[in-house]
Amino acid sequence: MATTELKSDAIFELLKRFLGTEEGIAVKNKVNLVYQFNISPKKIGIDEVIYTIDLKKGEVIKGQYEGGKPDATFSLKDEDFIKLANGKLNPQIAFMRGALKIKGSLSAAQKFTPDIFPKPAKL
Amino acid sequence: MAMRELVTGGAACAVPGSSSSSNPFGALANALIGSSSKTQERLKEIPTSTTTGTEPPFYQDATAEDRLRALPGADFDHSFSHHSTPQSSEFLRGFRSADQNGFADAWEDIHRSGPPPPPPALLDHRLPPPQFQPTLEGPPQRVLSNFLHSFVGSSHGGIPFRPAPLPALGLSEGDKQCIRDRSSIMARHFFADKSEDFINAQVNALLSSLDIDGDVRAKGPLAGRFRELEDYWNESQGALRPRPPQSDGWVAEFSQHRIDHGDPNAWAHSFEQQHGANSWASEFEQEQRLVSTADQMGGANISNLAAMEQTRMLAHTLAQNNDPKFQNSKFLQFVSKMSRGELIIDDNQVKPAALSSSGDWATEYQQQYTAGPSWVDEYAGNQLSHGPDQWAKEFAAEREQSGPVDEQWVNEFSKLHVNDWADEFGRQVGEGAFGESSADNWADAYDEYLNEQVVAKQKSDASRGVYVFSDMNPYVGHPNPLKEGQELFRKGLLSEAVLALEAEVLKNPDNAEGWRLLGIAHAENDDDQQAIAAMMRAHEAGPTNLEVLLALGVSHTNELEQAAALKYLYGWLRHHPKYGTLANPELSDSLYYADVARLFNEAAEMSPEDADVHIVLGVLYNLSREYDKAISSFQRALKLKPQDYSLWNKLGATQANSVQSADAILAYQQALDLKPNYVRAWANMGISYANQGMHEDSIRYYVRALAMNPKADNAWQYLRISLSCASRNDMFEACDSRNIDVLQKEFPL
Repeated sequence: MATTELKSDAIFELLKRFLGTEEGIAVKNKVNLVYQFNISPKKIGIDEVIYTIDLKKGEVIKGQYEGGKPDATFSLKDEDFIKLANGKLNPQIAFMRGALKIKGSLSAAQKFTPDIFPKPAKL
Repeated sequence: MAMRELVTGGAACAVPGSSSSSNPFGALANALIGSSSKTQERLKEIPTSTTTGTEPPFYQDATAEDRLRALPGADFDHSFSHHSTPQSSEFLRGFRSADQNGFADAWEDIHRSGPPPPPPALLDHRLPPPQFQPTLEGPPQRVLSNFLHSFVGSSHGGIPFRPAPLPALGLSEGDKQCIRDRSSIMARHFFADKSEDFINAQVNALLSSLDIDGDVRAKGPLAGRFRELEDYWNESQGALRPRPPQSDGWVAEFSQHRIDHGDPNAWAHSFEQQHGANSWASEFEQEQRLVSTADQMGGANISNLAAMEQTRMLAHTLAQNNDPKFQNSKFLQFVSKMSRGELIIDDNQVKPAALSSSGDWATEYQQQYTAGPSWVDEYAGNQLSHGPDQWAKEFAAEREQSGPVDEQWVNEFSKLHVNDWADEFGRQVGEGAFGESSADNWADAYDEYLNEQVVAKQKSDASRGVYVFSDMNPYVGHPNPLKEGQELFRKGLLSEAVLALEAEVLKNPDNAEGWRLLGIAHAENDDDQQAIAAMMRAHEAGPTNLEVLLALGVSHTNELEQAAALKYLYGWLRHHPKYGTLANPELSDSLYYADVARLFNEAAEMSPEDADVHIVLGVLYNLSREYDKAISSFQRALKLKPQDYSLWNKLGATQANSVQSADAILAYQQALDLKPNYVRAWANMGISYANQGMHEDSIRYYVRALAMNPKADNAWQYLRISLSCASRNDMFEACDSRNIDVLQKEFPL
């Protein structure tokens, strides 16, 4: 049902397609890490939807990373993820505000920037 | 009473804030403290010691320990809000209140049996009170109670406590941990006037009798960040007093820990430089201010507390970074301010906190404190600050098990789990996970953030679906603003048209056409939130207007709001004179994408020559991300309506979202040929170039879009990202200050 969809789904879908492009491959080679995102509709930790962004292989997978441990795991709300992806929310600020939880290697987390997300075009 | 309850405490044993006179445990503590005037004096000097007692319930999290390491004194609010009793009893009163799951019952037993009698170990030296017979047999809790009792008793004369053989008590690991931690903390109160060696000996004697691994200080939760502070304290103060033996262990461990991070002396030195010799004092003052602020804020502002907590940790960690550039950075100052509660973050905006006079006690204490802190004070503060964490942990565990909690906000707070990652952050910085550039990163992030706030402020209204009018509108008072607006819109002067149309709807708030065109103008100006706000008003004024319904569907699609988009698109079908019959009235409540898509396909079969049906279908396929179908729908519509610039843009956007960026650019170009001031298409161009990694080009298009509509917030965000990707950080300032002239000169198209 459409109402249960997350806004983030669209961004991950877009990223998935993007990673197949030339520029997407360049991003992949630059970062070369695996991130996991736990996206919650309303509150962090509740009804999480998990996405894995594998920038080693250049894949986006809905679900947990199966190749071991992701380099960093981010937990945040759907709304905040959208803001993060389109550059409205700075990850560091989000972290300090408690809007973004990070697990795993912080240096890996630092390499995560909103730049890696392609921007959706508007109809 | 179950064994577990004796050790971990029953739920009933704490009444936070209860008066000491009716509190046996508090009375016991008074008696104990009163027995040593020296101790009492000392305790007065050390308000930090109250940290032990007063555990504000928000430290419910399992990692509370780490918060407290960084925040000695943060938990003062209770104890200092009850000023009526002497500090020492205050502390112990609180002690009890915190000691939810502690020895309270055992201690209560002790109290009931009269004034604390000497322990068995003292029998050699003193006459025992006649009524006292230590019972080291019987039910385990009785044995434990008496045994602990004798331990406390040993504090009176400062006489070594002797281990005694005990029957097996069946203590669990958790119980042992609990006893170990608490006894070592308490011992430091009771024997505050004794040497460290003595205290350790006492505690170890107790623990060995209970068959608990006594090496309390070299491991376990008590060792932590303060270990490092203490270590550097020792170093900077020189050998003021012989170090307790374990301390050597810490030094070694600490040095090892720091080896890969650089010379351990270096940071201690730099810390000293930064804070001056009396760094503890100043650190402590900071804590006090934080606490007093926290006090003022009360329980109401949990997220700010969490943020303060978070930044406190951060500031603490960052302060240890010995890069002078970093030390002086605005970011560190910002973090420090936040951590002290001088700044609070409210919904992505930083505000100065209303910091009124800090509590009397804080001032009082500062005076006392700065008068001459001794090592013992420091040490006590240090030790004690570890104390409550452990209890908080257990407290939390207990509370979680015991179901509903009285204080709702306690739960709220604990859900934030700030410590996990703050701790994580600290650990990783400690390990040197950050490279050279990290300081810059953070400082940049801060600068960036300050600029974002300005934007966030403006946007907060629009994001709530309320239309935000421009401040200065020259068209107010215009005789016919609607006509003027339509004219401006036709000419492509979108931002001007917006002003004129705003004047119209201010004059005639129910003018559906005014609102509709205003919404269209905003959409073309690349501002979907304002477009939605305006279209909602148009929808109110004319609920069956098909153009309005379609526009709302499109804007909600752009904002990724699937359910809302589906609702309006279905509304379009329902209100359509020709296709309304297809609509199933039962459907309107719970819409399934597949049903709606099926109905529109039926409509398209009914009249394949109706461009509008194909347009709505194209939007629908965008919703479901079936881009190939969407592209064919829009292409079909374009065959029927080749002059529709917004249709060309829709095609381009769909192609872009299915990562056919090159095709998308061609389509956008068609749209711009038809309507050169079409801001949305310019911005979309920028996006397509950016997504192809052509950042310099994308900048030019973004700047072009922004020159036409400086209020297009998305474009500003994207521009900044592109500047960053193109390594044009030199233009950040112009971007952040929204200086479009500078940007246009730098990036002409």
